Amino acid sequence: MLYALMGLGLSLITGILNIPNFAHGALFAVGAYLLVTTVNAIGNFWLALVLAPIGVALLGLAIEYAGIRRLYAAGHDYQLLFTFGLALIISEGIIIIWGPVGFSYLPPPFLRGGVDLGFTFYPKYRLFVMVVAGLLVLATWLFLEKTRYGAIMRAGIENKEMVSLLGIDIHRLFTVAFALGAYLAGIAGALTAPIRGINPNMGVDMLGVAFVVVALGGLGNLLGAIAAGLLIGVAQAIVAAYWTEASTAAIFAVMAAVLLVRPQGLFGIR
Amino acid sequence: MSQRKRRDVLKIGALGAAAAGLGFPAIIRAQQKEVVMLGIWPATGAFSDVGPILDRGMRMALEERDMKIQGRPVKYIVRDSATQAGAATRRVEEAVDGEGAKFVIGPWSSGVALAVSEVAKRKKVLHYFSGGTEDISGARCHRYSFQWAASPYTAAKTVVDNFMKANPKAKRWHLLVADYAFGWSVEKYVKEVGKTHGIEFVGADRHPLGEREFSNYVQKAAANRPDAVAMINFGLDAVSGAREIFNFGLTPKVPLIMTWSSGVEELVQLTPEIRENIWVGSNFYYTADTPVAKNFVKNYQAKFGNPPGYAPSAAYGMTRIMLAGFDKAKSVEVNDVITALEGIEVDDLVGRMRVDPKTHQTLRPYFFMRCKPKSAMKHAADFADIVATGDTPMPAEYAACKDIGGF
Repeated sequence: MLYALMGLGLSLITGILNIPNFAHGALFAVGAYLLVTTVNAIGNFWLALVLAPIGVALLGLAIEYAGIRRLYAAGHDYQLLFTFGLALIISEGIIIIWGPVGFSYLPPPFLRGGVDLGFTFYPKYRLFVMVVAGLLVLATWLFLEKTRYGAIMRAGIENKEMVSLLGIDIHRLFTVAFALGAYLAGIAGALTAPIRGINPNMGVDMLGVAFVVVALGGLGNLLGAIAAGLLIGVAQAIVAAYWTEASTAAIFAVMAAVLLVRPQGLFGIR
Repeated sequence: MSQRKRRDVLKIGALGAAAAGLGFPAIIRAQQKEVVMLGIWPATGAFSDVGPILDRGMRMALEERDMKIQGRPVKYIVRDSATQAGAATRRVEEAVDGEGAKFVIGPWSSGVALAVSEVAKRKKVLHYFSGGTEDISGARCHRYSFQWAASPYTAAKTVVDNFMKANPKAKRWHLLVADYAFGWSVEKYVKEVGKTHGIEFVGADRHPLGEREFSNYVQKAAANRPDAVAMINFGLDAVSGAREIFNFGLTPKVPLIMTWSSGVEELVQLTPEIRENIWVGSNFYYTADTPVAKNFVKNYQAKFGNPPGYAPSAAYGMTRIMLAGFDKAKSVEVNDVITALEGIEVDDLVGRMRVDPKTHQTLRPYFFMRCKPKSAMKHAADFADIVATGDTPMPAEYAACKDIGGF
């Protein structure tokens, strides 16, 4: 579900920019760091879980408004270089602010430890993340599918010029979509913090998986990102049960297999 | 340009060449006096978090000597190993050919170190390494490379013997092993020593270097219902594994052994709750009771604010023992220093240390610690108590270095 969450956010931004957002992993890491900083400041995990991704969304909003917006006319190469440079700046910024050494963060006490599901033993916190991430994916999908603004956003991804000609402020739409994508990266990072710990490079690992999800689902296809996220998660779990060493490679094997048959991805049309 | 002008240029060129002929030999002579030492540390890629602190350790050892050895200035240069064999070997070759480096220390990954060791052999430069592979002082031993870390056998013997002494009923072990040279070496001897205690290895999963998703491995470990889980991995792999084992609720009920840990660098990344019932084997721990360690730890803490872990200590220790080789040889020639190091005995960072002349393995103590519960910690870095040290050398029947060879 975390893969789907990351993939959905990246797909949203990729759909708008028509280029991969290399800073998406860094935004994921910022979400994790902000969660811990907020918990330390206010002492409340639940409130921090709400506030940290909002902070990342605001950062995304600032990035789009102050940086990417100025490059829409300059072409994809510039946007690509901008997001790549931004990823490096954010990663270095994390090291300057929080230091180079990683650390662990524990979930609230009642979510610690594991539960015996009969067929397997599973951490309570992972079950919690599964539910929350599932609800977030559902909520995002409902917003995009069932609301007017979501429909405009999808239309903007499909045909920017047409939406612009209808009198809709396309720039504001892009800003909101970028902030929403950043929010999804931020909350994925915040939820991941107690599972994988926090370190300045944590976004790099997740970015690779997020790109796989986007490519597998079809570039810019939101439903495809959700389906691809679930598919590689399930594939990884199944392979891990029989051949643990190959579980990470399974992610890329699934992508390669699907792209050989459908180069445009599961739900892609171009 | 006129004929006259062209002639002037030629004159100036000739004068310049003459000046260069007089001046350059002086520069060359000055360069020859320098002893160029190379630290090949990871600044990028896997272990990039450790590169800067490895550099600190080597620099501190050289600064203790005022950057001089045998009356000559030491030129310390650093190159990025990138934890990639190709990049590391290319940069070492460039440093040897271009900078005149003759003494190489590093890198930090066993697999990369084996490749660098081949360069040292080919270029005839002295190479010191600290890591878990047994091949540097084993099957791929040669006259130019030395191993500072305890042998995997010494480490496995220290860890398994002392853990079983404290937990005699823990007979069912599950292993999580990093799938490269270091992991294979230590795993082999953990199983060998384990047999003598009647340990049953109910599972042994190998994971790639840089693995961050351990849930699948831990699920399998939990399903085996082991009495103990032993990890043979390192750095962020070990941190991620230990965290996930806690998340699944195995620790603190089931003891976790970090067989070959960097100590402080890994333990600081875990919370006290996660560290509970973790047992740690390491080549160094900062409470080591030796005069050299006490002085080093005091200076390191004064300079950087935190205690040193295995990484800076290994860089410091390797540099010190190499410098002791210079002292013994009373020379800065590679072959002389190598000959002096063979069989050298010193009381140094971790206690009594001797270099086996037949294998170039440093025979030295290995540390075994138990992490403290939060309530027993006196300060934030009070992670563990040293339970025991062990220095049993590798038995002759296991030694794969049959002939160290010549120069």
